[in-house]
Amino acid sequence: MPFDRPHELLKPVKRRFIFFSLLLAVLVELIPLPHGSTRWLPDFISLVLLYWVINQPRRVSVGIAFLMGLVADIATAGLFGQHALAYSVTAFLALSRQRQLVMFNLGQQALSVLGLMMANQAIMVVARMLTGAAFVGWAYFLPPLIGALLWPLLTKLMLLPYRHHQV
Amino acid sequence: MDFANTPSFFRSGLKPGTRLVLCVVASVALLIGDSRYNLMEQARDGMSLVLYPLQRAVNMPLGLARHASDYFTDQAELKADNARLRTQQLEMSARLSRLESLERELTELRNLNGIKATRPDAEQLAETLYTGRDPFSYKIIIDKGADVSLKPGQPVVDSRGLMGQITRVQPLTAEVTLIIDKNQMVPVMISRTGERAILYGYGGGVEIRYLPQHADVRENDMVVTSGIDGLFPEGIPVARVSKVERNAGAAFSRITTEPVAGVQQTRFVLVLREKGQTPPRPVAPVAPAKKTKGKKPADSE
Repeated sequence: MPFDRPHELLKPVKRRFIFFSLLLAVLVELIPLPHGSTRWLPDFISLVLLYWVINQPRRVSVGIAFLMGLVADIATAGLFGQHALAYSVTAFLALSRQRQLVMFNLGQQALSVLGLMMANQAIMVVARMLTGAAFVGWAYFLPPLIGALLWPLLTKLMLLPYRHHQV
Repeated sequence: MDFANTPSFFRSGLKPGTRLVLCVVASVALLIGDSRYNLMEQARDGMSLVLYPLQRAVNMPLGLARHASDYFTDQAELKADNARLRTQQLEMSARLSRLESLERELTELRNLNGIKATRPDAEQLAETLYTGRDPFSYKIIIDKGADVSLKPGQPVVDSRGLMGQITRVQPLTAEVTLIIDKNQMVPVMISRTGERAILYGYGGGVEIRYLPQHADVRENDMVVTSGIDGLFPEGIPVARVSKVERNAGAAFSRITTEPVAGVQQTRFVLVLREKGQTPPRPVAPVAPAKKTKGKKPADSE
């Protein structure tokens, strides 16, 4: 079985699709959701970002992650730079193991994404605690679990526009 | 072809490691700049202006859904002429639930309007745009900002009591720090006894600290703003004492309170004007042991 090629032939990914998906993630972040849902909703921006870092490492890398982090900082009214820091570090981590990550199957990928998103949250917690906030409790680490569960679905959805044959 | 695992033969630009170092340095600089020196206000203002249409756009489907549901209830009424008995019940229950929500909204608005009419210092009615997603801080964003000349520091109330204080004003929106935020303090008094204290938010709730053991506090006492800070007008209900623990070992009694305002549920809020005319600071410290500083402004008003 050839490991050096994707399992199916896909059309090349357009730049505007990458942009559009990231924009969509930001929009989802801005939806006025009922109180309490933020406890378990995953961070969609980082999910989509990780997807692109893993699958299009030459288009989306640390720089884009940093910029998206800044946008996330504004959108969540948090501290300036916390998301930027976390996203750029996790993007780098994903990038350094990218060759392995693309060859994993979806389950293994989801596990790695879980680790990456945990790292994300951990960096943000540390950043906030260093600037004087109290610890928010372990429930803060629940969203990455949900995000990892959503990973296979996300991957399938993102591949949908790039199939040659409609099934 | 551009496959995800095609190795890149020509490295373009900086190495990822270098980029990471650059980004980490930049974001740490931003973090420190924002948390220590508040340098990022300008940038935040600009970006919030860019994000505002997005926020509106995201809010729009909700409005459209509301329109659509109105449209379909009209259709249902037409249909009810044909199959009256069957549909009437359904229709009635649907209308009832809608009515309930409308009624709730109406009473909320009416209460606020009542406050606005009776309070001479009421300034601006605003709607909650969204709540900050950040679980560390308790903030809401309202849809009025520098465009109606709001200023940081103005108190924000809802129909039941004090909600918080404006901490950041952007061109079209403003950020309200709720009283339950960790860094928020409100000078209050127990309305039954007039005992003064300071109400501290601790992130998710409020409590009164540093009241001595013998202080006369009971459960269900109302806690209202005292007004001595020159910022919050006096007499706004803030919280209700839910539990008083007197521990013989501790210097202070432990008083748990519940905020009376719907700090995390209310949709419409009212921004009050600051109490204003804070007396100027005494110019020269002539007599260092001058204890009547707090009394003076009250007399001169």
